[in-house]
Amino acid sequence: MPVVKVLTDGIGEANLRDLDVYRKRGGYLQWKRAVTELTPAAVLDVTTKSGLRGRGGAGFPTGRKWSFLPNNGRPRYMVCNCDEAEPGTFKDHMLLEETPHQVLEGMLIGTYAIGSKHAFIYIRGEFERGYHIFMEALAQARAAGLVGSGLFGTDVAIEVTVHRGAGAYICGEETALLNSLEGRRGEPRLKPPFPAVKGLYGEPTVVNNVETLATLPHLLRNGPEWFAKVGPEKSPGYKIVSVSGHVKKPGNFEVPLGTPLRELLELAGGPRDGRKIVAIQPGGGSSACLFEEHLDLPYDFDTMAQNGTMLGSGAVVFFDDSTNFVEAALALVRFYAHESCGQCTPCREGGHWLEITLERILHGGGLASDIDLLIAVSHQLTGINLCPLGDSIEPFLASVVKRFEAQFRAYVSAPEAAGVIA
Amino acid sequence: MTERDFSATAAKVEPEARKLIAQYPEGCERSALLPILHAFQNVEGWVSPEAIDRTAAWVGVPRSVVESTASFYTLFHRRPVGRYMLQPCRNLSCIINGAGEIMAHFRERLGVGHNQTTQDGLFSYEEAECLAACDRAPCMQVNLQFYYDLTKEKIDAMLQAMRDGTFEVAPLPQSAVPGLDWHVAVEAERRSPGAQGVPDPFDPGGLGDRSGVLMIERLARDPEPIIARPTHERLIADGAALIAKPQRNGETH
Repeated sequence: MPVVKVLTDGIGEANLRDLDVYRKRGGYLQWKRAVTELTPAAVLDVTTKSGLRGRGGAGFPTGRKWSFLPNNGRPRYMVCNCDEAEPGTFKDHMLLEETPHQVLEGMLIGTYAIGSKHAFIYIRGEFERGYHIFMEALAQARAAGLVGSGLFGTDVAIEVTVHRGAGAYICGEETALLNSLEGRRGEPRLKPPFPAVKGLYGEPTVVNNVETLATLPHLLRNGPEWFAKVGPEKSPGYKIVSVSGHVKKPGNFEVPLGTPLRELLELAGGPRDGRKIVAIQPGGGSSACLFEEHLDLPYDFDTMAQNGTMLGSGAVVFFDDSTNFVEAALALVRFYAHESCGQCTPCREGGHWLEITLERILHGGGLASDIDLLIAVSHQLTGINLCPLGDSIEPFLASVVKRFEAQFRAYVSAPEAAGVIA
Repeated sequence: MTERDFSATAAKVEPEARKLIAQYPEGCERSALLPILHAFQNVEGWVSPEAIDRTAAWVGVPRSVVESTASFYTLFHRRPVGRYMLQPCRNLSCIINGAGEIMAHFRERLGVGHNQTTQDGLFSYEEAECLAACDRAPCMQVNLQFYYDLTKEKIDAMLQAMRDGTFEVAPLPQSAVPGLDWHVAVEAERRSPGAQGVPDPFDPGGLGDRSGVLMIERLARDPEPIIARPTHERLIADGAALIAKPQRNGETH
């Protein structure tokens, strides 16, 4: 089994929430090294060479993202995105609660690397426990002289602000997050300008995912080659994959990218007894489904993209042959309809239409034409919105309607007989 | 809104609000808007109009701006809620692992639906979106504390402990009597006026059946009244709520 312990090292064994425990395991040594021995450019160089790609969903190379910041002498900001709400994803939640110091150390290193003096972490409102855990970790680190000014006897100063969200999936989108952090409605902004040029308070800003930043201490400790040589060339490194759905032992598994989906299924205990897997959603609620014939595909950014889907946030949901895909599709469509910020008409109205149509089908009130309507509406609302939320409806819905059309049709023609596909 | 003395609450929150504002760069006081609303809700159990007023004054924006911002975020309760906020997850990994039954059980046991509070003011119930605990599905939050691997038995035990006052999670503070509904009927309200063919709660047949012909045909096929089905029940209930504006002790519920 390819399971590894990098970011997840010590979780479940030691109380990593305690600063002393974290330090005894080598914690904050890389932070100290960065400040006292490395220039920001050197940290940027390590990150670029490692090939690390963002772990929040888009998979954009982290080093390149940092390099877009203009040298205009303006203040710049680092924002850690801990608004994890992508359906099926629960890795940042775990990192925040189990190893808050690792998250903080990563944030500090990233902030230093981009030449910023102020880092923010935007914590999802529902993570109240995680918020308190992180606040405690931050207080410990501050008291130990790891955050603040005059760090390690140098003139390096970094301040950290913790900001709680209040229940809005869309705030995981970086420009919506920045609006929310500024005390506004969490509505995405038109891009460009990108946050690197005009972000928080109109200043150059980098928004990075929790897992991305938590990887930084390990890159400094082990060197970029250690990371770059793992997995596919353009999709290297280790990744925490959240596996859920119809498996015996769902959970977070840290694996090298490129691990076959079948091995992820085995790590999660395999399918339930007497059942077989018929579909896999490989990258969170916004990704298209793969099917049983895809189980041997390696799990990495590019392979997923080549197969018409995405790795996204690294959330893999397995569906077995007991699945009611009408119900599953409704759950996701209702989610996007509910979470639409309402700025763009196609997303605001289209999601709602699809929800109503699916409810009709599920509850025996559907029309034969509703199946085509689902495909048509979900396609028409795609690609014409400010942000990717509206575009996130079509992939899963269209992929399961096409694959399990008989199940959808059965609901329309004979609702009382409609059930599972097996 | 009856007059009430807000000065004690304001005095309690103000020092924290000042600290929250100081966390952001100068001139960026508005960033503390959400955190201050959280602070008020922690004290009062909801975001009251008075809390909106104070927040507006402290961060230096008109109250309409605070209203508009607060209304965007589902965690802020704009009306008083019960002592226990019950939020089972209704998203994908939970749904395919039995969340439907869990939600039906809650509705049956509580006698209220989504976004509603029980008559005794003890429970508020909201079906929530993915809570990022999919490995322990079906899951829920009670006053933002996580509960996992839910079963009907666990729910019954939980509700009983809450009724007995022995539940491990502290109840939410109560500063005003909760009403039946604590959200406006969002789904019924947000349909664009004049949108063609968009089903509305008063249209019995739904999409593509404004005249109700298909519904009558369906009723002829199936003797069970169509309103017994969850979709229509909900649509009709939302519609009724809009017309009737049910009172706490009214007969509409």
